Amino acid sequence: MQKELLLEILSEEIPSRFQKNALVNSSSLFTKILNEYGTNFASVTSHISSRRLVLVVKYLSKKTGNVFKEKRGPRVTAPERAITGFLSANGKEASDLIERNGHYYLNIAMRSESITELIPQIIEDFILKMPWPKSMRWYLEDQRMLSAFWVRPIRSILCIYDESPIDAFIESVGINTCDYTYGHRFLSPEPIRVSDFDDYAIKLKQNHVILDYRKKTSAINDELVQQAMVMGLYVSYDGELLEEVTGLVEHPFVRVGVIDGEFMKLPAAVLSTAMRVHQKYFTMTYPDLILAPYYGVVTNVPITDDMFRGMNRVLRARLSDAKFFYKEDTDVTLEAFAQRLSNIVFQENLGTMAQKVDRMMSVANSKDEHRAVALCKADLSTQMVSEFPELQGAIGEIYARVQDESENVARAIGEHYKPAGASDVLPDSFTGARISFFDKLDTLVGLLGIGITPSGSKDPFALRRSALCIIRLLCDSEYDVLGEDNLSWYITTLINAFSEQGVALSTDTLESVHRFLTGRLKVYMTDKLLIAQEAVESSISSFDSFDFNYKNAMIKAKKISSMIKRPGFNTIKEALKRVLGIIGKEEGRQDFDESDVSFISTYMDNLRNHINICKEINEEAELFEKIVWISELVLEACDCVLIHDIDPELKSQNLGLLNKFVKLVKSNIGIE
Amino acid sequence: MVQWGAVDTFESMNQDKDRVNSFQNMIFDLQKFWADYGCVIMQPYDTEVGAGTSHFATTLKAIGDEFWNAAFVQPCRRPQDGRYAENPNRTQYYYQYQVILKPAPVDPQELYLDSLRSIGFNLSTHDIRFVEDDWENPSLGAAGVGWEIWCDGTEITQFTYFQQVGGIGCSVVPVEITYGLERIATFMQKVESHFDINWNGREDDKKLTYGDVLKRFEKEFSAYNFDVASIDMLLEHFNDYEGECQRLLAHNLIMPAYEQCVKANHCFNLLDARGVVSVTEKAWYISRVRAMAKNCCQAWLDGQESR
Repeated sequence: MQKELLLEILSEEIPSRFQKNALVNSSSLFTKILNEYGTNFASVTSHISSRRLVLVVKYLSKKTGNVFKEKRGPRVTAPERAITGFLSANGKEASDLIERNGHYYLNIAMRSESITELIPQIIEDFILKMPWPKSMRWYLEDQRMLSAFWVRPIRSILCIYDESPIDAFIESVGINTCDYTYGHRFLSPEPIRVSDFDDYAIKLKQNHVILDYRKKTSAINDELVQQAMVMGLYVSYDGELLEEVTGLVEHPFVRVGVIDGEFMKLPAAVLSTAMRVHQKYFTMTYPDLILAPYYGVVTNVPITDDMFRGMNRVLRARLSDAKFFYKEDTDVTLEAFAQRLSNIVFQENLGTMAQKVDRMMSVANSKDEHRAVALCKADLSTQMVSEFPELQGAIGEIYARVQDESENVARAIGEHYKPAGASDVLPDSFTGARISFFDKLDTLVGLLGIGITPSGSKDPFALRRSALCIIRLLCDSEYDVLGEDNLSWYITTLINAFSEQGVALSTDTLESVHRFLTGRLKVYMTDKLLIAQEAVESSISSFDSFDFNYKNAMIKAKKISSMIKRPGFNTIKEALKRVLGIIGKEEGRQDFDESDVSFISTYMDNLRNHINICKEINEEAELFEKIVWISELVLEACDCVLIHDIDPELKSQNLGLLNKFVKLVKSNIGIE
Repeated sequence: MVQWGAVDTFESMNQDKDRVNSFQNMIFDLQKFWADYGCVIMQPYDTEVGAGTSHFATTLKAIGDEFWNAAFVQPCRRPQDGRYAENPNRTQYYYQYQVILKPAPVDPQELYLDSLRSIGFNLSTHDIRFVEDDWENPSLGAAGVGWEIWCDGTEITQFTYFQQVGGIGCSVVPVEITYGLERIATFMQKVESHFDINWNGREDDKKLTYGDVLKRFEKEFSAYNFDVASIDMLLEHFNDYEGECQRLLAHNLIMPAYEQCVKANHCFNLLDARGVVSVTEKAWYISRVRAMAKNCCQAWLDGQESR
């Protein structure tokens, strides 16, 4: 295709988890660079697979437009000679110098340049600036230097512009660009010469590379679903796994395997984790959603029987280990495992997990709660959790059932890590929600109490997440997690429990926990619930202590937020502000000319009537409009009436009326 | 990048060869392949290590800008992994084949695949994949990026580009290729258990399996590691090795000092398997081993720079 730039950077295998973001990052970076060079083009698209990152620019003009480019000169502290040299070399004068970060810069007008001459520099820039989450360097033997950073060593760079190959040496990675690429590593290892993107896409397809990331994902999914359907099964959808396997293959092949019956007695959570997380196999269920003894594998080459035996063998090995752990673990009671928690450190300065459990016990209430707290962390010392750490909680619940704990206790053990974040589900049971709350609050109290606070991107103990989960438990749960006590009671009780264990937390811990939680509550409401900042602030500032009901604060903020958008809200706000100012003052202004006393009393009577009518209005929108109207009256009254009348009786009547207005706004609009 | 025609050469070579599929032949073939490539073929480190990375031919040689290509079998000890020979593929003693190429050549992945072809591994009947797995050994201040190489869902090799050793960035980046020999052999011989691997290639009554050679070793060492090893002696040895390491560093005898560090580390692993190291203590022991390793690496680097 004419005026098309095709660039393919072929490297060793790009980690799967980086690919999707790289797709977006690469095209936006490339666009940015092209613009910096003043080029004209129609579009930039990108493609990615396990070995290649591809960029296609359509209608890239052969010459750049005129642009200015900033050129960095000597340091500000450099000798005069260096600076004059920099100026004369660029034909500029001292007044043209721009000073920034200790350097002088000049704006240089770039003349229009031929794109083919610029392309090598554009590639260099792109390689240097591409943001991989983790990248590496390798040694360039010919140049005796380390390469630029890239995700994995680059093996070849294909570059074609306007149907002609670009021949350039990309110094930072020691590679000459060429006009050929390679297909699938195993199915098509020979080089392939290409002429433009259409040709490239067709030839890659012939050589077993599916270039379109989304097509590849849906091809895998469709094939899995198809094969499962034939057997009357459903594939358990797992988007993360699907993305991962997509990034591991250039040409997917799918097959369904069978799990030995002897393993199906293992808990479903264990089977799923072994298959999905460890082996990257898909799990399948019967129509009633019971886990079926089948799994789906996705490979990069056609699946032979030999291969299939290998896959079965490795799954069997993993599951036999799990079976062994299950048998060994269930020979021991959860109580015995709980005792071993004194060997597991919670945090260096805050003691062991056993001590954490003791502290959680101090805030537990019912019999079930005590039991669930006592056992909730026990699974951390089981062999199963040491092999499958992601199953903490789930294993505890399973073992609790094995030893015939009550349904409520078993469930609470399983649920007490929930919610794990902003979008995770909340515990279903009251006890589960309570234990989860105790656990997270204990973490927060302890760590904030020894001065560990998150800063910027550093939050090694995930305190923000703990706070978020507490907030969600308090705001979003159907249960009243706090019960009859307030938040301060829980915090104080935990602080005391620490001190009984000989851990002295900072004296302002109560306040700092409250402050941290309130801060995170604001963030939660603005960032996650998308409530207007102003509404959040006025909701929270309406409480006079830190220890307020989060759920009410949230409801209030939502309400204010819905009011803010309505016409007239600002009038209400202004009136309230004026009134609060007047009430707060001892004496009013004395320069009023209150000649017509009867007019004034009518004024105030009118206002009183309107306020009284409000009680009878049930329809919300009507009430809001009424309050806007009253607010206008109030504003006028504030202008015309001396509220702090010399007559004490009149004064108290006036103030009483204004206080009524304040109450009206507070209870119906939520601001104060 | 692709060595043109290399694929055919190796596959035909293997068909020509009247090969006997055995554990020992597999090792001979690997030795030959890497010797032909230009590696110095070394012998295992004669002290207990947890991985071929701990061989001085990897760790110390990875530091600095001297070029270095070496390959060797390394028996590895991981006391915690013992299963009294009852688990078909988990043992406290196993063999790695360790290759260190410094600097990493152009296209070491293809070189690695060629090495598999050279031992008669039929790549076309297996699903080989490079799955991201970065490697980090904080006790050596070492880190690298790379993959674990999967064969039909089983990890058979670790492939790592070192980026940092002894807390210092590598000026010449090496690649380390670590083959799990037992796992590769189970694929080649189509057996289910490590213990069923044919060791000497005989099919008559002189046949010796991996189990024949090592099962008793595995059983007895599992018992030793978990149940019988003298805790007092190990504690004492750990302290002794640590002291000796410091003393030797003061004499600028870095390789002997490093060896004390490796030995101390094994003592710690045994203590851990004996279940006498609490979590807090564990962190403390690890930090002591780390300090020893770091001092050795630093001293080695200083020596190189002054040379």
